[in-house]
Amino acid sequence: MALASLTGLSFSYPDGGLALDDVTLSVEPGEVLLLLGPSGSGKSTVLRALAGLVPWFHGGRFEGRVEVAGRDTRRTRPAELAGTVATVFQDPEDQVVLGRVDAEVAFGLENVGMPPSEIAARVADALEAVGAAPLTGRRVTELSGGELQRVCLASALALAPQLLLLDEPTSQLDPEGAESFFDVALQGDAGVVLSEQHPRLALPYADRVVFLERGRVLLDAPRDEALAWLEEHRPAWAVEPRNSLLQASEPVYRSGPSAVFEPCNSLLQGEAEVVCRVERASYAYGDGPPAVDGASLELRRGEIVALTGPNGSGKSTLAKLAAGLLEAQAGSVTRSGRATFLLQDPGRYLVCERAVDEVGLGADTERARRALADVGLAGHEDRHPRDLSSGERERLALATVLVTEPDLLVLDEPTRGIDPERKAQLAELLRAQAHARATLVVTHDRSFARSVADREVSLAPEREAVHA
Amino acid sequence: MRPTAAAVLLAGVCAGALLAHRLPALGVLVVLLLAVSARAGRRAKPYLWGTLYSAGFVFLLSPLLQSTGYHVLWEGWRVPVLGTLDVTTEELQLAALNALRLAAVGLAFAVYALLLDHDRLIAAATARRSVLAAALATRLVPTLERDARGLVEALRGRGLAPEGLHGHAALLSPLLAGSLERGLNLAEAMEARGFGRPGRTRVPAPPWRALDALGVAGAVVAALAGALWL
Repeated sequence: MALASLTGLSFSYPDGGLALDDVTLSVEPGEVLLLLGPSGSGKSTVLRALAGLVPWFHGGRFEGRVEVAGRDTRRTRPAELAGTVATVFQDPEDQVVLGRVDAEVAFGLENVGMPPSEIAARVADALEAVGAAPLTGRRVTELSGGELQRVCLASALALAPQLLLLDEPTSQLDPEGAESFFDVALQGDAGVVLSEQHPRLALPYADRVVFLERGRVLLDAPRDEALAWLEEHRPAWAVEPRNSLLQASEPVYRSGPSAVFEPCNSLLQGEAEVVCRVERASYAYGDGPPAVDGASLELRRGEIVALTGPNGSGKSTLAKLAAGLLEAQAGSVTRSGRATFLLQDPGRYLVCERAVDEVGLGADTERARRALADVGLAGHEDRHPRDLSSGERERLALATVLVTEPDLLVLDEPTRGIDPERKAQLAELLRAQAHARATLVVTHDRSFARSVADREVSLAPEREAVHA
Repeated sequence: MRPTAAAVLLAGVCAGALLAHRLPALGVLVVLLLAVSARAGRRAKPYLWGTLYSAGFVFLLSPLLQSTGYHVLWEGWRVPVLGTLDVTTEELQLAALNALRLAAVGLAFAVYALLLDHDRLIAAATARRSVLAAALATRLVPTLERDARGLVEALRGRGLAPEGLHGHAALLSPLLAGSLERGLNLAEAMEARGFGRPGRTRVPAPPWRALDALGVAGAVVAALAGALWL
């Protein structure tokens, strides 16, 4: 008997069109089901339906049937399903309730009525299982995004759920962090439904793959069969894109704290203008250790540089120094022309009430409309930015910086929450406009870095620079 | 000291400050609370600035709006509705008293928000829902501060740094929208984690110690001292 099933499920949110259209699928006990599909295809809605949050929390029009562990979710509130089902949402900051790590993990256990004498042991075991035991007693506000995501996973695993729902849980993690997250989350006995935008990382763990598009199931097949289907019908989801401009070379490890790199792109080997030069720059936040220590970087007009490295290696800080959002405390930064910077998670930081006005803050309305069209948001001009999906918001935010036609464009994790097809379009757009500016892309996403960049500068935690 | 006892002590101190009438006693209390809240380090900054600004505002404005006392120190213009603006010694004393009371209450809240373990407070509370709501509201201050920093940084990244009072006031609406969105997401996550389900349990609390009893007794003493002697 299936652990969970959706039968002929159609659903519309109160203020939107059809999010799911006649979806039928099931999850077997212990199975890892990978949900793939473009932004807005209905992946998160499937997870919410399995948790009972659709329709209980969101309202809307619900047709069909959802059963979890033999219980009909129309008759069972999400809170009653808690324990049988546990969810890890995309953004850890929006799901943490309490202030300290151990109390946070205990929160769900208390709610489901775990005997008090067992709670402490369950909390300790869950934190140990996700490698977060040293975080016990720490304030959640002091944790990094990756640490917080592990705490959220521990909170879910502590419940020993039969069904674990993971909604793009690795979007803030570097590839190593994501792999170790999957190693922990997917090795238990629970059935798992995992929604992901990085299929390459998640596919090895999946037993079965469901591909959704516009709320409909296009594919429901075992992994190997699904891989063949993806290669044939949705190659962006299966094949790693390559940038023909990027010259293949072995990584060069340099042990010093700083490095200046020459462009690999053969089109740029001439005398391209240097738009930004960072020389032996250092920066520390408050009284903390240096986030960037003696780093050097040169960005030339016409090239795209990918700045990579694990969480906490100082990528964003170095990028902010380059764009002038932070002043170097030692060393120097010189720039020519206008620099713009797109923050991580930029969808949170939109200020206007119409998309076209948001982009129009930096230019006239006509250019704003063109910029919206460039990022695939033509027709969305009059929508409120907060009514857009998270992927659409990210693209809107991208339009707000592209419209200013900067000499230096710095993008911090621009592919977070973006599906592979949109990612390929973004790479194409950046490449098409690359000649007009120097572009620095901070990213965890190695396939994106390879598809878009002329060269890659990698920051290791010990500030070792790696150059490919 | 357990957070419940510390919260009761802070409530007693607040009551004492509101009932006290002697400037030196209130001054000492404010300095003490300032020293305690400074233990939170940089996190205390927004609370301290907020409290000191509010207290300063009360001290400067209230003498102009009151008409008390006979020892006039300054007399200014005549303003419709308010009458003649003047400042008397008595008004200054009253303004200082009110400003110090406000500062004491603000700093006591800063100590509560920054130094108390709200998780243990929630765990010990009988009215868990209300205490949880209060704890989440307390966390709103640093979250809003971080969101405001993010908004300003995002605009600076676009070459649109907000300037002046009007520029910063324009950020209030997106800040409010952002906090409502966060609130909805959090409510969804809480529902998914079983919040509100009947039959909940709680992690056993550690037993009361002498220090906790001392804290509660201190609260009563502080309130009585404020009412009777200070």
